[in-house]
Amino acid sequence: MSANIQPPPFTCPACGLLCDDITPVNNTCAKSVAFFSQRLDDASPKINGKKVSLLEAITAAAQILKSSQNPLFAGLSTDIAGFKSIEHLAQKTGGSLTHMNAQSMVRNLKVLQSSGWQTTTLTEVKNRADFIVCIGTDIVSHNPRFFERFVDAEGMFVKQREVVYLGAAHAPAGPSSLPCRADALPEVLAVLHALVLGKTLKAKQVGGIAVGELQALADKLKAAKYAVLAWVAKDLDFKHAELAIEKITQIVATLTQTTRAAGLPLGGSDGDTSANNIHTWRNSAILEDGLEANIHASVGDAIVWINSFNAEKLPPKTDLPLIVLGNANSQLVQTPVVFIPIATPGLDCNGTLFRVDGSVILPLKKVRESTLPTLSEIMRQIENALFNTNQE
Amino acid sequence: MITHLKNCKIIDPAHKKEGVVEDIYIRNGKIINKPSADEKITQTYDLTGKIVMAGAIDMHSHIGGGKVNIARMMLPEFRHESRNYTEPEAHICTPNCSHNATPTTTEIGFKYIEMGYTAAFEPAILPINARQAHLEMADVPLIDKGGYAMLGNDDYFLRMLTAKQDQKAINDYVAWILHATQAIGIKVVNPGGISDFKFNKRKLDLDENHSFYHVSPRDILKSLSRAVQELGIAKPLHVHCNNLGVAGNFETTLNTMGASDGVPMHLTHIQFHSYGLEGDKKFSSAAAQIAEALNKNKHITADVGQILFGQTVTASGDSMMQHLNSRFASPKKSVIMDIECDAGCGVVPFKYRDQNYVNALQWAIGLELFLTVEDPWRIFLTTDHPNGAPFTCYPHLIRLLMDKTFRDEAFAKLNLDAQAMSNLTSINREYSLYEIATMTRAGAAKLIGLNDRGHLGVGAGADITVYTDQADREAMFSKPDFVFKDGELVVKNGKVVKVTWGKTHTAKPNFDTSVEKGLKQYFDKYHTIQLDNFKISDDELASYSNAD
Repeated sequence: MSANIQPPPFTCPACGLLCDDITPVNNTCAKSVAFFSQRLDDASPKINGKKVSLLEAITAAAQILKSSQNPLFAGLSTDIAGFKSIEHLAQKTGGSLTHMNAQSMVRNLKVLQSSGWQTTTLTEVKNRADFIVCIGTDIVSHNPRFFERFVDAEGMFVKQREVVYLGAAHAPAGPSSLPCRADALPEVLAVLHALVLGKTLKAKQVGGIAVGELQALADKLKAAKYAVLAWVAKDLDFKHAELAIEKITQIVATLTQTTRAAGLPLGGSDGDTSANNIHTWRNSAILEDGLEANIHASVGDAIVWINSFNAEKLPPKTDLPLIVLGNANSQLVQTPVVFIPIATPGLDCNGTLFRVDGSVILPLKKVRESTLPTLSEIMRQIENALFNTNQE
Repeated sequence: MITHLKNCKIIDPAHKKEGVVEDIYIRNGKIINKPSADEKITQTYDLTGKIVMAGAIDMHSHIGGGKVNIARMMLPEFRHESRNYTEPEAHICTPNCSHNATPTTTEIGFKYIEMGYTAAFEPAILPINARQAHLEMADVPLIDKGGYAMLGNDDYFLRMLTAKQDQKAINDYVAWILHATQAIGIKVVNPGGISDFKFNKRKLDLDENHSFYHVSPRDILKSLSRAVQELGIAKPLHVHCNNLGVAGNFETTLNTMGASDGVPMHLTHIQFHSYGLEGDKKFSSAAAQIAEALNKNKHITADVGQILFGQTVTASGDSMMQHLNSRFASPKKSVIMDIECDAGCGVVPFKYRDQNYVNALQWAIGLELFLTVEDPWRIFLTTDHPNGAPFTCYPHLIRLLMDKTFRDEAFAKLNLDAQAMSNLTSINREYSLYEIATMTRAGAAKLIGLNDRGHLGVGAGADITVYTDQADREAMFSKPDFVFKDGELVVKNGKVVKVTWGKTHTAKPNFDTSVEKGLKQYFDKYHTIQLDNFKISDDELASYSNAD
């Protein structure tokens, strides 16, 4: 799989937005610059920290999987082809799967499964949204170019927009920001919903926000032609955070009785949306939560950690035999039994990924010379080593 | 390598063969003439007494793409229910129904081929989401696939129409979309309505202007049906009419038939568009009016979208009507989406109950349509999977069409008020095997333009289904003796014995590539991806395949 290097513009997988307008000269996004300037130094497979040949590393990984009854394939940071290859090997080895972002992803999916929702996508936001509420997030910490690309840009049907932050920790200070603690959001949003429904409240403040300010927000939501309520599940990191997301969907549903409004789940990266989609169409079941839970409950007797995209996404500390199929620059804290550096889709090889809004799937390009094997190639070789041993 | 199927009782409407006993020879996946005596026959199947048809083709079934996968995500309980389903809903379900409205990609391929279906077409590919649809369909084993790309609610097209761009420009855009999305046909869903919902409109009639673009659904239908015809692709414009599910919508449907000025159109899941306003409940069957109009209007074809009782999920591009329908959701949840200035979607779980007046009448309306539309070449057997029922209910539906006694017994168990409002028992027609084969094979292949499928003539792809002739047509169609896919034996006694990977059928009409100039400007200004990334190349599509 040594496809040719492709010309720009490139697609950037560093966050869920998958900006596909990246050229080496115009890149203003720090996350993206960091992604594309990843170095390619020491790309050797290792066993217990010692350089070995790829074949030795594959054989050692296969050995671990052979003596394992239920390996846990974790991290799962890869593209569509990579995830398919993981799923294939997991099925063959009786393994289970858990994505590094599963915990936050499942916050959203719980709401999808309990009430459903009304949502929109990025091109609709760019062209229609006249009022955007960022709930519990500044968005840009996760999706740096969100405002540049979809809010500050000219829209087909909208001339002026207003942005309000509600309970967003890193929001720009000023009148457009209504600060509160993240874990007060379910309560604050419940009050906002009541106000959108036209109820009058005795309380004067909730979560530190004056009810009058929330009333003004409710009025603006009702007056907007196309209000967008955005959140990032990762930033709603408190117990029962799904209650906040559920309230957002209820507010949207109520607004949609008379005007148009939509939810917008943002964030996303490391192939989480892709992994969940493929897993769902192949199993009619979402990719469940549970890295921490699985490890604490001792699910699995070996761990295969996959981090193609980001060298900093490290496996959890574990006493179980650990295989890392990772970014070539991974600075591992715990030395795994087997480390195999793999190609990063969108950098070392072509690929395909789902954007965070779930409807758009984009090709990733190979942008530099690299001899690193793809995850699918490694998975195929491990499988061969596992099941064709009698050929030797 | 020649396979010989001996003494086949052939039902092949494309060649007007009804029960004639002949032999079939297969080489390299194709049906060939009788080989010369010195050519070696590798395998022989003696099919004496067996009914032999081409593999069936489902011309409208939601088997891949965003909304199907959202349904899977939203409804974990379906997996649970389908495994533990012990009490069939009233009389209507049988052990052959899987009750699974959200099958996995693997299950889709297996269940289809095990019923003798060798191809299915996803009718609602959002162009922006085409990559997902093809990725999913690539994971469907055994059967051939293809899809229709949705237009008519995308802002690019509506801007062209408002700007009164000439038909050639429209044609080039439509052709470009077919190439970019690797589709074989064009569909329009609630013409203009999905877009107008984004402008807060809740209903759009055929001759009502879109609130922003000031063009009507009729204008959209005219323009798109003509484009499809002038491009010379076989599949007529696939039309999901305005006002789906609304009592009294049959008038919209009748008027839609006239909207294309005689240019061919296919009206899909027409059962959902055949509702009158008669009776105390202001909901009645207008099947008679619709069937009469279909019989008269030879340029119109239709599929039924039969409902069958039980739990399912409705997954539609029609966000406007699905938002309205979400109040009937069961279980009570739904997903409504606006998507990329391209289209939208609505996913609403639904349970059809035989003791519910409206549901019972919907069931009867579908059957009335099947039985009173005269020409089986122009009406197609669908449940609009999963919207009316999972496609796994087809054998049951076929029995309802072929067996009046069975049908009347089922009818007698319906909601009594609904019975009083239907003339179903006065219809004596029973479909013949030849008519079933026409609807599900020859007619479907002709409609989509699959010249080498749907028939058993020399040169056809050897997609062949072999049945035991049984009085119980449901049992017969549930479990073919053999299914050959491209000449390979893949099903024996109703069970898959070999997994192969079918191909994707597409239509690639010529067009003026300068169409990309305007598109590039639009994409750069208003879209959020590069124009080049919108397009799926042949190589990319091939790379999705699981075949070795």
